[in-house]
Amino acid sequence: MDAGAHYSLQLFWESWDYFREATVAGTIGGLMLGFLGGYIVLRKMVFLSAALSQASGLGVAYAFYLQIYWGASGHQHAFGGATDSPWWAALLGSPLLGAAVAALLVTAVLALAAPRLSGRSMDALLGLIYLLGSAGILALGTRIVEEVQDIQTILFGNAVVVLDEDLRLLAFTAVGVLGLHLLLMRGFIQASFDAEGARVRAMPVRALNLGLFVSIAIAVSVATRVLGALPVFAFSVLPAMAAQRIAPNVQMTLIIAALLGAVAAFWGYVAAFLYELPVGAAQTLVAVGIVAVVEVLVHAGRLARRGWKWWRRPVVASAATRGGEDA
Amino acid sequence: MGDVLLQAKALEVGYGGSALFPPFGFDIRRDEFWALVGRNGAGKTTLLRTLLSLLPKVGGELQARDGVRLGYVPQRESVDPSVPARVIDLVRSGTDRAWSFLWPFKSLWRPDAVRRAMRDAQVEALAKRPYAELSEGQKQRVLMARVLAGDPDLLILDEPTSAMDVIAERETFSLLDHVRGERRLALLVVSHHLNVVARLATHVLMVDHEAGKVVCGSIDEALADPFFAERYGTVFSCYDCGERRLGARRLTQLAPHVHAPGAAAEEAP
Repeated sequence: MDAGAHYSLQLFWESWDYFREATVAGTIGGLMLGFLGGYIVLRKMVFLSAALSQASGLGVAYAFYLQIYWGASGHQHAFGGATDSPWWAALLGSPLLGAAVAALLVTAVLALAAPRLSGRSMDALLGLIYLLGSAGILALGTRIVEEVQDIQTILFGNAVVVLDEDLRLLAFTAVGVLGLHLLLMRGFIQASFDAEGARVRAMPVRALNLGLFVSIAIAVSVATRVLGALPVFAFSVLPAMAAQRIAPNVQMTLIIAALLGAVAAFWGYVAAFLYELPVGAAQTLVAVGIVAVVEVLVHAGRLARRGWKWWRRPVVASAATRGGEDA
Repeated sequence: MGDVLLQAKALEVGYGGSALFPPFGFDIRRDEFWALVGRNGAGKTTLLRTLLSLLPKVGGELQARDGVRLGYVPQRESVDPSVPARVIDLVRSGTDRAWSFLWPFKSLWRPDAVRRAMRDAQVEALAKRPYAELSEGQKQRVLMARVLAGDPDLLILDEPTSAMDVIAERETFSLLDHVRGERRLALLVVSHHLNVVARLATHVLMVDHEAGKVVCGSIDEALADPFFAERYGTVFSCYDCGERRLGARRLTQLAPHVHAPGAAAEEAP
């Protein structure tokens, strides 16, 4: 945009062709991660999402580092690696593969460690993975000077322009993950919130948990590559926090969280355009705003119900009693 | 196995390959009311989890008859109140078994099972209420309805009356006994309320990890067992109503109580 240009909603729609891929990618990511966030928040594993997104970010950063180490640069293979390098180097230097391997590795470590760890030890392990991911990205960032803008994107999400391939990849991932979840929703819910009862009823709880975690890992790793770690963490926590307050059951929590995630992603992008903010930060702030608005509405609703009850209290009886006393 | 639903032969339960008690055995049949009793830390939960196949057994045999459906009602604290759920949602979830969740709308195909479970557990009026807002007694009935929706043959309950007031506790046990008769279920209930056990149970499974003892058998056999009497006292029968009560050994007669038809007898102050 020209310096001094007036950033308005009208200008945003006029420039829609320019922003379309990034906005749609964010909205798809918000929808998918909002849905999965329902499990993350209700199962009280918010740190899992943070650790996965940071580990995925480290995987992406490591892929960039490998590209530079092998002298690859410029254009990309289907995996995202550079075309002027051998196929194996392109594969190993693929940011997507880096993100997926890191996320699946973390999932495997957590799945193996979970039965042996108490809640507090699990928290500590997730904290360790998060810190390793964050510090690793920053440390590798100093070795990837030419790609420093990408490192910023990985960390904070500044997806101003999203490539067609990235959008397609994110859309395919969302369709696959959400399709799987719609098919297995009852199983995932039982394995998540009545694990022992489900095991007694011969349901494959271990396989369901594995499927749930792997789907989260894949979604987080792909979305981290495209959108950045900060909005990925935000979309997988904040919409579900808001949905949990207003939904009558788990199924509705997942659906409302998905819709709120999409809304936060879209309007976050618009806000980033209007107020010249980094996209990831704007999307996160919009999601925080949604949580705040829902919280206020919930409290207002409660107060209104109390007020209504107070208004409808049996005043007639008391008046009659008073009348009787007077008489 | 004949009419036996669950059979244990020389069963050993414990952790890490070491058994908590000597081997023991039992047969659970339809219509029987088994009470699993013991002090805190006696090994009740370990035994319960082994019976439910949530823990591997250390030794012996544990066999359920082919096609027998187990139902497990955990302690109420195991249901997270921050997870939004209406009563109807919880009850519907009880219809899932094995891989049935692959049919996403399955519970809608079994509305009769859901309705019957809610009627039997007396929670029909609560259908749309959030679980978290219910009283302890109502929550227990909802958890029972969830399991009943799966049409179990053997219902296993872990301390169903913990943290309940006396009235809710009495109602819960009455409901359990009613459901047992109505559905011809076998029940296995972990309980600390020995007078209720003496009144309703047909069989007793008493475990004591410290003493390394298991008392197992019909209520009359268990009450006559010297170890059971040493731990819980002697049983007394009321001359008028025939009700059994447990009391300290030094007592020589049953404590005075009210004979209310259809209701549990009240202790005299």
